[in-house]
Amino acid sequence: MKKSSMGLLPVLLWLSLFLVVPMLIVVGISFMSRDDLGNVVFHFNLDAYATFFDPLYLGIYWDTIVLSIVTTALCLLLSYPLAYYIANAGPKMQTWGLALITVPFWINFLIRTYAWVLLLRTQGVVNNLLLDLGFIQEPLQMLYTKGAVLLGMVYTFIPFMVLPIYVALEQMDKKLLEAASDLGATGWKSFWHITLPQTKSGIMTGSVLVYVSTTGMFVVTDILGGAKSAMISNIIQSQFLGARNWPFGSALSVIFVITSLILIALFNKAMTSRHMTAKEGR
Amino acid sequence: MYLLRIHSILQLIIDVRKRGDKELKKMKWAGLALAAAMVLTVLSGCGSSKETLNIYSWADNFDADVLAAFEKEYDVKINYDVFANNEDLLAKIKAGGSGYDLIQPSDYMVATMIKQDLLAPLNKDNIPNFANIADTYKNPSFDPDNKYSVVYTSGVTGIAYNTKYVKDEIDSWEDLWNPEYKGKVILLDDNREVIGMALKKAGKSNSSTDEGEITAAVEDLKNLLPSVLAFDTDNIKQKMIQEEGWIATVWSGDASVIVKDNPDVAYVVPKEGGTIWSDNYAIPKGAKHQELAEKFINFMLDPENSATNYESIGYSDPNTKAHEFHSEEYNNDKMINLSEDELSRTEWLQDVGDKLQVYDRFWTELKSGRE
Amino acid sequence: MKSKNHPLLGIHSLLVMIFIYLPIAFIIAYSFNSSRLAADWSGFTFEWYVSLFSNRRVMEALSNTLIVALVSTVFSTLLGTMAAIAIRKVGRRSKAGIGGLLYLPIIIPDIIMGLSLLVLFTQFHIPLGKLTIIIAHITFSISYVYVIVTTRLTGMGGQLEEAAQDLGADAWQTFRHVTLPQIMPGIISGAIIAFTMSLDDFMVSFFVSGPSSTTLPIYIYGQVKRGISPEINALCTLLILVSVTLIFLAQFVLNRGKGQKKRSVLPF
Repeated sequence: MKKSSMGLLPVLLWLSLFLVVPMLIVVGISFMSRDDLGNVVFHFNLDAYATFFDPLYLGIYWDTIVLSIVTTALCLLLSYPLAYYIANAGPKMQTWGLALITVPFWINFLIRTYAWVLLLRTQGVVNNLLLDLGFIQEPLQMLYTKGAVLLGMVYTFIPFMVLPIYVALEQMDKKLLEAASDLGATGWKSFWHITLPQTKSGIMTGSVLVYVSTTGMFVVTDILGGAKSAMISNIIQSQFLGARNWPFGSALSVIFVITSLILIALFNKAMTSRHMTAKEGR
Repeated sequence: MYLLRIHSILQLIIDVRKRGDKELKKMKWAGLALAAAMVLTVLSGCGSSKETLNIYSWADNFDADVLAAFEKEYDVKINYDVFANNEDLLAKIKAGGSGYDLIQPSDYMVATMIKQDLLAPLNKDNIPNFANIADTYKNPSFDPDNKYSVVYTSGVTGIAYNTKYVKDEIDSWEDLWNPEYKGKVILLDDNREVIGMALKKAGKSNSSTDEGEITAAVEDLKNLLPSVLAFDTDNIKQKMIQEEGWIATVWSGDASVIVKDNPDVAYVVPKEGGTIWSDNYAIPKGAKHQELAEKFINFMLDPENSATNYESIGYSDPNTKAHEFHSEEYNNDKMINLSEDELSRTEWLQDVGDKLQVYDRFWTELKSGRE
Repeated sequence: MKSKNHPLLGIHSLLVMIFIYLPIAFIIAYSFNSSRLAADWSGFTFEWYVSLFSNRRVMEALSNTLIVALVSTVFSTLLGTMAAIAIRKVGRRSKAGIGGLLYLPIIIPDIIMGLSLLVLFTQFHIPLGKLTIIIAHITFSISYVYVIVTTRLTGMGGQLEEAAQDLGADAWQTFRHVTLPQIMPGIISGAIIAFTMSLDDFMVSFFVSGPSSTTLPIYIYGQVKRGISPEINALCTLLILVSVTLIFLAQFVLNRGKGQKKRSVLPF
């Protein structure tokens, strides 16, 4: 390793000790089997991986991926304009904007999610308001639906999208925009050809953070979804705890990590191949 | 103190803005000082000379005053940490080195822990008050001679229903399947409880290991699924109080809580019988303060302490001698003090061994709505 | 500075903000609700604020949470930033490998991280407690800092640094005067996310915690069975109040100190 890349040494050491070693153990367990008590038995086999190809688990994983992609897209739609607004506001507004977005998320996640239950339940505030205004005659069943799960996911992960996009937007070379408008480019045109390409790294980071966090989330489906749909993380969790099948839980995790890495790499490639700028070529 | 710390972090950030050499140097020192202060805070607070009893249990499971009384009487410090379910507890204890002296696993978890050799045998000489426990709760099937565990509280899974919406008389699990309650049924979020319930409905054991019986029960449950509003264990109380659900499988203790906030709700142990459960005291192997933990169990089983404790947490009290110290309201609560008749219809969940995988697979299938 | 924001953007931003604050408003309102189970509105009370301060266990959990969050944020920000800067100098192939490794902590399911670290710590007889929680939090936070700082570095390119070195600045000077100021917003954003993740983490903390190292999330998850006490709502309300006040104060002090030129607290 060159001297200039010595900065990686502490991180690599740290991660090898606290991440790679435990992960290798997990990979090892995924090839073993279990006894009746749920203890891991040293007997090499691929059963755990074979179990994954049960259409039940494949289907759940597929649902998880779809929900995560939809969540990511919605987060992006909501967050980009907001990040843009903050990045183009005065310095004081910038601080306040970011602080106002971050501070609510210092409140415990469970508490925030239960607050949504209070809002959305049949005798909750939203229903009462709609009833009073005469928009509906009967309370709507909003909780324990797929929509409620989606709402909870988007709500939970908004800051993960806003912050990286903001970081990229704030750094953008504004002179380019001015030049473009001098040359007669309209707002949309210059946004499409200048702003968007320059903030790709932010979109990329935000999307990866939201996507990965959504696939790993399971409490939202329990609380807002009434535990009626399972995410892959619910299954992983229950294999390690309730079902006491560590080999299967480990195999699921290995598959999960590998597919996530592949998806991220593909996404990365798709993002960098189009509109590649000179700066990013390094 | 923490405000100060947050402030110094902000100050650091401010310093960075200035970007001058001097400030950077200052910032470096400030950073070092901050880090040092933090490390010191982390390392300190470990040294307390008093003997400590490390309890690992469910949240709010004891009355704070009774705990304080124990601390005072034995001149010790109680350290009370919480877990949210039995499976988390098992994972933690199994890894070893958790450092806890007293834990409170449920019935089936006691059985599992005994099988896995995770519990220390209790020295009954330190627990003379064990004699106060009602015979019903002595020598349970999961720990025949109470060698490793002592019951703490117990309950029965039955049906809670709101009489405002449910006009028929409810006395059977069958009633959950009534199409009139479509979309208003809540089930416990637990594979053994729900599949066990369907097994009971069919007149089988709630811990059947016969795959044919289990499959039949699951097929039956699939007909119930369209009626299910949600699966929930912890927040079922709020859902029933708020009348989100009309009819639900509920633990007797929780039913008592619901009725206090919503008097329209009634509770019944169905005629086919229900699952009985208990939370228990147990001591993990290798506990550093086993004797103190035993003294604690004994202290809690003292009739007066017992009355104060259970009165405050609102769970059922297995202590027969405590009866006279309880309030009338507590003694009259039919959901806390289940009748002999109701208790005779109950069954403990047994460890189903390898068939747990079958239960789990079916449960995933049921909940994901997939075949 | 003239704001170049379109009014529609303003409306959108306002709506998103309302979306973010709707549940928060409820938490604050319910901290004054006298009902224990937060089922219905049953009257105004300060009871929960009073009992909060005498609740030793909540206070202990709060202090543990803040210690863990602050310490792990400082260390993970340092390590993550170093990694993001250093990885630029690595060859393409090892870059992909190391980059993937640095993504791992975000991707790995929490339960795997928690359980595997629990096994690791108990195997090496490291007593479970705040220290083990901090180690675990640093491990996952490094990634968040790394990805966000990398985002910033990607947009920055190398021209400025090269120019500085052409003008005779040494490596340290270049870093201190060119690179660091440029990526500071990324570092701060990374630190904010690391701090937020640490504050909120339940699963990993649960498995690697030991006696008397209960954090707020562990405490709150435990309470779910009995119904979360409104004391927690009161605590959340206070936390928001304190955070906002601190930001306001810092901004105020800074602006007064700097006179003419308005500055923002966070170096964004």
